[in-house]
Amino acid sequence: MTAYKLRIAHLYGDLMNTYGDYGNVIALTYYAKQIGVTVDYHLVSLHDTFKADDYDFVLFGGGQDYEESVTAKDLPGKSAEIKAYIEQGGSLLAVCGGFQLLGRTMEFADGKVINGIGVMSHHTVNLNSPELKDGMRGKRLIGNIEIKNNENGETYHGFENHQGRTFLGEGEKALGHVISGNGNNGDDQTEGVIYRQVYGTYFHGPILTRNGNLAKRILKNALSKRYPEIDWQGKLAAIPTESF
Amino acid sequence: MLVYNLFMTIRSKFALFAGSTSYILLHKILHRGGTSLPGKIAYQLDPAILKEFANKIQTVIITGTNGKTLTTALCARVLSQSGRLIITNKSGSNMIQGIVATIMAHAAQIRQANRQGQKPIAVLEVDEANVKAAAQSLQASHFVLTNIFRDQMDRYGEIYTTYEKITDGINSSPKAEVIANGDSPIFARKPYPNPVVYFGFADRPETGDHRAPTNTDGILAPTDDQVLHYHYLTYANLGSYFTPDKSFKRPDLKYAVTKVDSLTPAKSDFEIDQHAFTLPLGGLYNIYNALAAYALGREFGLCADQIFAALNEDSRIFGRQEQLHIGDHLVTIVLIKNPVGANSVIDMMISDPQPFSLVTLLNANYADGIDTSWIFDAEFERLHETKLAKIIVGGQRYQDFSVRLKMAGFPDQIVEQDFGKLIDRIKALPTKNAYVAATYTSMLMFRAELTKAGLAKGSF
Repeated sequence: MTAYKLRIAHLYGDLMNTYGDYGNVIALTYYAKQIGVTVDYHLVSLHDTFKADDYDFVLFGGGQDYEESVTAKDLPGKSAEIKAYIEQGGSLLAVCGGFQLLGRTMEFADGKVINGIGVMSHHTVNLNSPELKDGMRGKRLIGNIEIKNNENGETYHGFENHQGRTFLGEGEKALGHVISGNGNNGDDQTEGVIYRQVYGTYFHGPILTRNGNLAKRILKNALSKRYPEIDWQGKLAAIPTESF
Repeated sequence: MLVYNLFMTIRSKFALFAGSTSYILLHKILHRGGTSLPGKIAYQLDPAILKEFANKIQTVIITGTNGKTLTTALCARVLSQSGRLIITNKSGSNMIQGIVATIMAHAAQIRQANRQGQKPIAVLEVDEANVKAAAQSLQASHFVLTNIFRDQMDRYGEIYTTYEKITDGINSSPKAEVIANGDSPIFARKPYPNPVVYFGFADRPETGDHRAPTNTDGILAPTDDQVLHYHYLTYANLGSYFTPDKSFKRPDLKYAVTKVDSLTPAKSDFEIDQHAFTLPLGGLYNIYNALAAYALGREFGLCADQIFAALNEDSRIFGRQEQLHIGDHLVTIVLIKNPVGANSVIDMMISDPQPFSLVTLLNANYADGIDTSWIFDAEFERLHETKLAKIIVGGQRYQDFSVRLKMAGFPDQIVEQDFGKLIDRIKALPTKNAYVAATYTSMLMFRAELTKAGLAKGSF
């Protein structure tokens, strides 16, 4: 019927795949199909090449510490192209570990600090960091969470489960303001990040299956960049939104 | 030191007495198992109580994240062929207190067997984090390792943490023999000080070169951080794995499934070491469980025929699966709690030649795992390969599952939030067969309705 395509790169999808992050691909595929767009899914993992121009959407999920450290070692080889992709306005969803690795530094539970690719200015400390407020140290942040984005008025629901605590930096906005739950660090009421067309979050659940409003927003951004002549907003508005 | 030992012994004897009494009282008064409480009383009196039994029984420890309960039941059945008294924690009470309770409940039988010059075998399902304590106290002679899949990560964390807990226990008993699933890459990450034998699947040629599906956990080699390749996969990350540089590969299998003939939800026909074998259970994972029991039996010196005779006995072993009738419908209840388990259930449904309906019940209480995101890691899209006719979605988190199945391409669903109305909904299903796939507390809530309706016995 139509030749519209959404080319998805799942960065380290076989390593960074905890807590249903792949569900974000399932959600985007679900909405894309209803507006006549086919999804081409590509796994881009260790030793694979990533090229900025080859994709319309990138998912970078979370992982266990071991897999995240292996991923971090491989990332420098891809970081120039990932940076180019982001600076060109490419759509990207980063969850948990993926969110952390796009920033400057990331500290594991055991105190080991690794570098992220630094394309974004946030940094992540561990659960025992002196940067944290008293009473927020020593525990994983686990539980249901609700946030509100005050700019677009949208509310998002999810489940957070992380030991790392992220502090946003220059040029970064939060994905939302915490209504209930902990968010990035349990202190400053921010959750996630928005930078250009990058959305970062600690939400599992996964974020795009529970928050159809955000799934549609991201899909619209990605498709509009590739096919600017089409009214994607209108097409997406005409199909139901799954939100709960 | 002598005084200390003497003191410990007296304390142990007292603990033993207190524990036995509590078991009998609880059992008689409450008529309900009471597997954990008497053990707790004894264990708190004296954690050394199990040591009293170390030289009175021989101990086999079965551990891993999935399949422990059924493997333990099969191992117990196989080892009963040895003619020795078998003690096992059938109730799935697998923490240290439950183990104490199990042993204590059989203290008299153990004494009697000892008097007759016989050493009973304790075949114990042990929780991953309790392996070390149980193994050291009872001086285990064998470890049977089923698998390590990602489970409730809010409980013990990553699969490598679970692996460390298990190997910590194994390393502390270096004389015990390890009987491990050779198809599971994690069990070959580090050498053991113990003697080790491996079991697995050798039903295909070692020629293919595949990768595990994207969403598979535990596919990194311990060397050089390479992603594993496979000559073939059986399910999840299990199979004949290797790294392209050959620095890491599946160890040689001592016991193997050499052929799979047919699989249905009720029956599996396959060959172990060229011997034809039928298991009155469906699911590839159950073949692994049977293979583990076979390997253990062989290591105990039993011959293949003895083992098959034991496994072929036609009494149904209570796994985490049960069947009952609701109206004209035959309903199979299966517990689901993580992606690997759910995928195995989907595999079983694919092997079902009859049309069926599916009832999903999802709760997110502590015992279920409070994070429901795992339902997006399981491949419900593969239900399109089955004869699925009708879907009912229920449980406290029915919305999550409803969206999951919608996104898998099943928009036509009956959504039923009320546990009290499920039975009537099931009675109205168009198929004779139905599966109820439920998380733990949702299954308990469903069972409560069954009990109210007189369709199931009250005790569970």
